[in-house]
Amino acid sequence: MGSVKVSQLSKEFSGVHALKNVNLDIQEGEFFALLGPSGCGKTTMMRCIAGFEQPTSGSIQIGETKVNHIPPNKRNCGMVFQSYALFPHMNVFENVAYSLNIKQLNSSNMAAKLPIYLRLLNRKLGKYPKPIEQKVMEILQYVELDKHATRLTSELSGGQQQRVALARALVMEPAVLLMDEPLSNLDQKLRHSMRNTIRRIQQDLGITTIFVTHDQEEAMSMADRVAVMDSGEVKQIGTPIELYSRPSTPFIANFVGTSNVLKGTVVGQENGYSVVKGHGFLIKSTNHVQQKEVNVIVRPENIKAFKPGTISSDELTNMIEGTVLVSTYLGSIVRYDIQVEEYQLVVDTTFVPGEAILTEGERVQLTIDPERVLLI
Amino acid sequence: MKNRLSSFNGLTFVKVLIYLFFGVFLLLPLVSVFLVSFTGQPINLLGSITNSNILQSTIEKFSSASFDNYEKIFTNKTYFSAVQNSLELAILVSLIVIVMCIPIAYGIARTTMPFKRTIAALCTIPLIVPTFISAYAIIIMFGRAGWVTYIYNSLGGEGMLLDPYSMAGIVLVQVFFFFPYALWPMVAAFKVSDISLEEASLNLGARNWFTFIFVTFPLAIPGVISSALLIFTVSFSDFGTPIILAPKDLNLLVVEAYREIAGFFNWGGAAILTVIMVIVAAFFFWLQHLFTKGKNYGSVSGKPKQQKLNDAKGLTRTLSVYSLAIVIIPVLAMLSIVLQSLATTWGKNPLPNGYTLSHYQTIFTSSMGNIQNSIVLALGALILSVIIATFVSYFVVRQNSSKLDFMTSIPLVVPGIAFGIALIQTFNTAPLHLTGTALLLIVAYTIRRLPYMVRSTMGTMRAIKQDIEEAAVNLGATPLTAAITIIGPLMLPGIAAGSILVFITVIKETSISILLAPADWAPMSLAIFQNILRGEYYTAAAMSVVLVVIVLILQAIANRISKNQL
Repeated sequence: MGSVKVSQLSKEFSGVHALKNVNLDIQEGEFFALLGPSGCGKTTMMRCIAGFEQPTSGSIQIGETKVNHIPPNKRNCGMVFQSYALFPHMNVFENVAYSLNIKQLNSSNMAAKLPIYLRLLNRKLGKYPKPIEQKVMEILQYVELDKHATRLTSELSGGQQQRVALARALVMEPAVLLMDEPLSNLDQKLRHSMRNTIRRIQQDLGITTIFVTHDQEEAMSMADRVAVMDSGEVKQIGTPIELYSRPSTPFIANFVGTSNVLKGTVVGQENGYSVVKGHGFLIKSTNHVQQKEVNVIVRPENIKAFKPGTISSDELTNMIEGTVLVSTYLGSIVRYDIQVEEYQLVVDTTFVPGEAILTEGERVQLTIDPERVLLI
Repeated sequence: MKNRLSSFNGLTFVKVLIYLFFGVFLLLPLVSVFLVSFTGQPINLLGSITNSNILQSTIEKFSSASFDNYEKIFTNKTYFSAVQNSLELAILVSLIVIVMCIPIAYGIARTTMPFKRTIAALCTIPLIVPTFISAYAIIIMFGRAGWVTYIYNSLGGEGMLLDPYSMAGIVLVQVFFFFPYALWPMVAAFKVSDISLEEASLNLGARNWFTFIFVTFPLAIPGVISSALLIFTVSFSDFGTPIILAPKDLNLLVVEAYREIAGFFNWGGAAILTVIMVIVAAFFFWLQHLFTKGKNYGSVSGKPKQQKLNDAKGLTRTLSVYSLAIVIIPVLAMLSIVLQSLATTWGKNPLPNGYTLSHYQTIFTSSMGNIQNSIVLALGALILSVIIATFVSYFVVRQNSSKLDFMTSIPLVVPGIAFGIALIQTFNTAPLHLTGTALLLIVAYTIRRLPYMVRSTMGTMRAIKQDIEEAAVNLGATPLTAAITIIGPLMLPGIAAGSILVFITVIKETSISILLAPADWAPMSLAIFQNILRGEYYTAAAMSVVLVVIVLILQAIANRISKNQL
């Protein structure tokens, strides 16, 4: 088991910066997600840790050891590939036993190597020693695949293949578990249950896990901490709650959940509020910032929508008017796109059965609690 | 740092070995023969490195180097006419093949011609027969005592319909036994042209034949030219036909080069002829490459193309009769060999005088050794090429080693007889005195057939995703272990298909066998060749039949494997 420390890591591919001065400090036993749009460098980051890419500069430390010059086969990082990369000519058992065979191969003398090679080439050419068999069956039981041990991997469903890949990585007792978009090939339902399975196993084993994904929901629901990456840089690291409530840039505000971003200027202070003036609106926030030019960030669920004249007087702070453009019924919530001056705001309201939904073209009054207005 | 070195060493070491192998057995001989073409005397480059006396004499030889041999091409009548005749032969054969194949290719690609499958199947027969056996078959048919001659005479003809021992005889064999090489690319070329274009032409008022000449055919031209160039190279490099059929007064490069080396030990002469052969073959190979690369009229599109086939009764029937008439000739040639192998005697009659199995008995008792040799040598070449091709395709696909890719395709352009001469010249003396050993023979076969093997393994290698290999490394395997335990087994189908191809071509191989095989390692092809020279026609025929049957069986297995793969 180990912590992972990445310092000042950069990676260049023929002039293109895939990674720029990345710093990560991942604790032992932590579930850490690398989140970002495709091409942001998250996969390159993971491949550097696994040793498949050599960083241009900077260092990677696993536990107490600097691993920059350790070849990938000696790093002891279990990896679950996006495509699973199961060996198609081997059955489930053999796939999982592979790393144990290799371990034995490396520790035996010339004569003892031959039977291992033989059973690696074809299962009929050699018997597996008891300890290996036991260990493999144990881990297969753990991922509930012990009944499928002799199946070929191509005969398994997507979720089962996923679990074989996981078992194959776990059986080598890696210092770090790396997962590259492991859920992207599964359908919606399976993805949900696999999320729970992976999280449960990670908690059980207390294994340091780095999880690459472009799906913010996945990252937020599974990880202890998330690093949001964009164009090769880490933009923000924090717990899911921190990221959601205090995004450090408009990009993150929009990438992690949905946000309304308005540009404005701080024009003064009033009763402890910052007052921000923008095109056609004046808004108060409990947030205080140094700079004058600010981005005003408001989450859709923090805006309330009223038919004109129905607002009670104590909710009149930060009232703006607009027109409903589109209303979308999403089950438990109703999402409105509302035109306010030049902006289109997204507003989520809880759907109350029996209450009428605002229709397109209708005038609407919006209010925002100043405590929920973030300035960055 | 130390760890990294030891783990990457295994593969790097293999790569160095492969480079060394090609350096010593391919590049060194070719360079040597090129140098000999100037010095006129054998040069021992390897010896020059290890022995200072040899180095001294090598330097002396270089000091007397000259363009004498190159002048001889023009001054020496024999050489000049050899070049001329060889070019003439190759051009003639490729032109005839193209004209002959256009109707068949069109018939297969674009019409509902009857017996299409039978015709297509019969077209593979010429490919499995070594050319010197086909040449011999033509003698059985058209020779003085041949059955064609008999029929011709009884119809009132004088002498022979066609003298097999002449340029015409060689052209006949090459045309009828090389045409499938051109046919399949041409069929593909005719499929490029879209039926909708032809319908557009008809719709604009053009007649059928007009449409064919101005729409269908022009679209197929790149494919046709490329086929012609391919046939040129094949005909130019062919040794089996001319060595059997070329009369004394007909000089051909391959035959002349063989005579210089085997008859007169004229190193300078052989070298200059070798250099010419390689240059011409390489040039036409390059031309052909150019044509297949540039002019692809984009037949690959996502939209499935509806191919409407021409089903005009008159046309399809004519095409069918014509095609059958052509593909039947190689079949008749093979049947003639089979009959000869079963005949007690066969004089100038349409059929043998009597039938016997004694020739087979003879070869299975006295020539078993040759069959064994063929199989052992082919197996040797197969194992060597499997190992080399697997690693080469790994390096080319995974490490982008384009140098290695280039090096393994060099043998494609070197005619067998040229390569054989280069090898003999280089390994004739110490320190690597290998001429006359089975080892050199196996190495020569391997290098010559490696391009086929590499193509086959490279295809499967490309289909194996990189992350499968990375997964193995991630699980602790060194790159070499990953290659052996994961990549190797996954490549098996490609390796199997490729190795059968290697085995077949090695068994068929003529030029290398005749030049390099020592007496105690004579393979079947050499034995048949010697039997024909000695006039033991019946045993030669029987042995030919055995050879073709072995090839047929292997071919069937290869087809099976490649089908299963799909």
